[in-house]
Amino acid sequence: MPVALRLATLAVAAVALLGTAASGYAQEPIRIGVLQPMTGPATKNGTENFTAMQIAREMINERGGVNGRKVEFLLADIPTPTAAISETERLTTKDGVKITLGSGVSLLAVPVSQAAERHGVFHWETAGAADIITKRGFKYTFQVGPAAYRYGHAAVDLTLGELAKRLGKSPSDLRIALLWENRAFGKSVGDSIRAYAKEKNIALVYDEGYDQFLTDMTPIVQRLKDVKPDVLIAISFPNDAILFQRKAKELDFNVGAMVGVSAGYSNPDLRDSIGDMVNGIFVSDFAARVNPKALTPETLKIADEFFKRYDDKMKRPPAGHASSAFSATWALFTEVFPKAKAFEPAELREIALKLDLPEGSLANGSGIKFTNNDWPTDPKDAGQNLRASIGVWQWQKTGNNQVFPPKLATTEPVMVPLPNWSQR
Amino acid sequence: MTTVGQLVFSGLLIGGIYALMSIGLTLIFGVLRIVNFAHGEFLMVAMYGAWAMTRYLGLNPYYSIVAIVPAMFLFGIVVHRLIVMPALDKPHLVVVFATMGLSILMQNVALMALSADLQDVPPILGGRSFTFGPFYAKPELLIGFAVAVACTLGLRFMLQATYLGKAIRATVQDGEAAQLMGVPVPRIFLITFAAGSALVGLSACIMTPLFSVFPTVGLNFVLIAFVIVVLGGMGSIEGALLGGICIGIVQSLSSYYIAPAFGQMFFFMLFLLVMIFRPAGLLGRKGEATLGIND
Amino acid sequence: MDAAPLTSKRRTGRWRLLPERGTISLFELLLLAICLVLVAVPLPQYLQDVLIQTFLWAGLALAWNIAGGFAGLISFGHAAFFGIGAYTSSILAANYGLTPWIGLWIGGALAAAFGAVLTLVCARLRGPFFILSTLAAAEVVRIAALNWAALTGGAEGFSILPIASIANMVFESKTTYAALMLGYFLLIYAITKAVEGSRYGYYLFAARDDEEAASAAGVNPLLARTGAMCLSAFLAGIGGSLFAQYFLFLDPTHVISPELSFQFALLPALGGLGTAIGPVLGSFVITPLSELLRSYFGGAGAGLHLAIYGAVLVVVMLYFPSGIAGALQRLAERGRKGAP
Repeated sequence: MPVALRLATLAVAAVALLGTAASGYAQEPIRIGVLQPMTGPATKNGTENFTAMQIAREMINERGGVNGRKVEFLLADIPTPTAAISETERLTTKDGVKITLGSGVSLLAVPVSQAAERHGVFHWETAGAADIITKRGFKYTFQVGPAAYRYGHAAVDLTLGELAKRLGKSPSDLRIALLWENRAFGKSVGDSIRAYAKEKNIALVYDEGYDQFLTDMTPIVQRLKDVKPDVLIAISFPNDAILFQRKAKELDFNVGAMVGVSAGYSNPDLRDSIGDMVNGIFVSDFAARVNPKALTPETLKIADEFFKRYDDKMKRPPAGHASSAFSATWALFTEVFPKAKAFEPAELREIALKLDLPEGSLANGSGIKFTNNDWPTDPKDAGQNLRASIGVWQWQKTGNNQVFPPKLATTEPVMVPLPNWSQR
Repeated sequence: MTTVGQLVFSGLLIGGIYALMSIGLTLIFGVLRIVNFAHGEFLMVAMYGAWAMTRYLGLNPYYSIVAIVPAMFLFGIVVHRLIVMPALDKPHLVVVFATMGLSILMQNVALMALSADLQDVPPILGGRSFTFGPFYAKPELLIGFAVAVACTLGLRFMLQATYLGKAIRATVQDGEAAQLMGVPVPRIFLITFAAGSALVGLSACIMTPLFSVFPTVGLNFVLIAFVIVVLGGMGSIEGALLGGICIGIVQSLSSYYIAPAFGQMFFFMLFLLVMIFRPAGLLGRKGEATLGIND
Repeated sequence: MDAAPLTSKRRTGRWRLLPERGTISLFELLLLAICLVLVAVPLPQYLQDVLIQTFLWAGLALAWNIAGGFAGLISFGHAAFFGIGAYTSSILAANYGLTPWIGLWIGGALAAAFGAVLTLVCARLRGPFFILSTLAAAEVVRIAALNWAALTGGAEGFSILPIASIANMVFESKTTYAALMLGYFLLIYAITKAVEGSRYGYYLFAARDDEEAASAAGVNPLLARTGAMCLSAFLAGIGGSLFAQYFLFLDPTHVISPELSFQFALLPALGGLGTAIGPVLGSFVITPLSELLRSYFGGAGAGLHLAIYGAVLVVVMLYFPSGIAGALQRLAERGRKGAP
């Protein structure tokens, strides 16, 4: 016990010190709790998201802040869901934060929003996509990035339209296989694809989930070889995406088109890991960099500044989730905050619900229009952004190019059908 | 038929890799009677080493064996001196938690120093595989399997034919008697731990072309390694090979015929079944699992 | 295995300074007073959160200690019992409207049943074999929970509605939770003391320390051990339900993780295995330490707080192998010798 008390005293002193340092500003800064996994399995997402958010903060502060007030971040590390709850509680109860921003991946966004809602804190979710986030009737949670089902729908829409045409098959004859990683995001997207395909009367020829610690992809690839799909939709994380592609090449599994969903296949390191094997893979993802024509001129300037700064810091272009983190954070600073006076959650919620930004207003091509409890089509859905941009891009020799939907596309899809491994 | 053949063949090869990464742990477990919970992190560090040599010196990962194996031997000596040796005369849980603390420490130092990014080395032969009739296999897997078998035979030869090996076996059979007969038991412990660690280094060089490296990569393999060690029988080197192959094939077949989501569950269940009906493991001597170990 | 030595029971009728088997010491009363004060005073909410987790973990560590410390059944699978308890009460509440006040006993009973099966199945295993078997059994439970999504919500997790009411066992005030967790912890402490001082406790120690002698003396070691594991699992299951009611979110990957199982064993090992006070001291030091390390270094450099935690763990295990309780004991003995 004495250790705890001594540490606690130390902690109180440290906070007091921080407080005095911060009061150097002309006006009280706006304090935001940022929750990201800086350790643990999702570290990569967390650090990239946080970098993008920091860029947004630096940009707004360099422009004089929000109505003269600077923005200040209090970062908390949330390696696990339990830590996510504890840290959200700590930020709100100890540091008195009323606005939180986060939280890297779906698995963590669910508990973070839960703890935030419990304390009546305004939570702005930039990356967490699981559908359940907005299905719990929460008042103060806003999912600014696209919900998981929209990743699934984008993948299926691309498959049944463009890909079916290029493979020379009618959508109903197309053999579609679905492979998902059994964590919150993978399961959410997998469920949505299954439901959407059923709605369109398409039977999936393969539908399996797998554990995150799987070390051997042979059984999966072998089964896929046996069912011979035309299109494979796979929701993977980086490690398993690499394992899968290598195993597919080893066992000579060929498929007409390969659509990956987010994290694993959108990871910018994928080309470093598996080389030119990536070319031709489609990725259903937050749009990272969209057709400039889809953006308003002011947004384009902001977007270019973000891309440049991100490249300077991380030495590579941002992945979709980092773009989304920046866009959502920037929207919070420039669309929500300037209209607020008290910066109380109830007030911020009113402002957020009134937002009506057309698509192309944010750097990643998104607009903002939230559902709320009264939304006629889905009365339980609250705080889901219906205009979050989602699309499909493709790994091509020239880079990652947006190919779907047509409005955001910068190029045509190539390499459909995907050449056999012997020709790649 | 082709399908079953491919599944068994691939399971066999990956099982060889699993066995290889477990042999070091088996050796340590058999002689020192401790479970090194930092085993996965030893593997991680060595994989980073093999990756760095390929990345910065342009070496083929297999050549890095020359540097990584001795380096891991030294690392083993340091860890033994600082952590394992002081814990040996203490209750069993001490060494369990001390190595677990080491594992947390190593994981997070790696995270701070190297970030969470995945690192890979390019596959040999451009990732192409050999075909054997209708069956496919990557050269990396074939090399891994060959090394695993060679390692098993080499270790067995060493244990049977050399003085060191005899001293190790004497220590395993009766530490006190061995000590009285002039076997320097503490030195044997040190050498065994360092050798186990060097074997982890060897398996890391074999695994780097197959798997990505990242700070928590050890977690993906460490449970498999534990299962193999116990499954094979305490300290039985051949048992580890057999256990690894069993796990590889069971995982392969159950993932294919039942569901990949349950793949790991089946080998844990297999493990439990073996523990119930043959508690000494597949090749362990009868009664070993019921002996109170280190208490 | 390390444990308190089997000294003969001294009934001097005096208050003892340090905890001993069968009596209540001044030290324990002092600790109890501090706990009560900490619950009663209006601490900042954040520290209350630390307090709640400290009490909960003290209870869980004590529960583990009944199997691991008293009976020598070193389990690395207690997260399975914890998870079974947590999911049972939560699912019963969400699907059947059964209040967690009742559900937690059912969860505990299921966990106890699982514990009994596990002990009987692994009856012949000792040392690392037993440890790794429990680890494997917990993994089987985790994967089952992950894939039985219709029941557990699978990977997306299981959320408990944050509607505060006594029947829901969800509270606005952290003080209520602190009192609840303190109650849980004290209950298990009382059970631990009772077992420790009882005939059954002696059976357990005997079966742990010398199985053959115990059998010869008429103790059925398997029965004694199974009972201890049942009790331990039952209490861990109840702790799981309480955890669920406090955090309101469950996810198989973390609620039934090996890391959580390690935590169960770590606290008693650090505090002093096989004693009643050891697990309590373990939780009182480690739980606040890990929370505070994360909150003060968590934002600084990724991983620094965990690296410190790991290093502390290594050092403490090596230099205080009989735990904090053992260190205190030695200190007290030195003091007694010094006095005339």
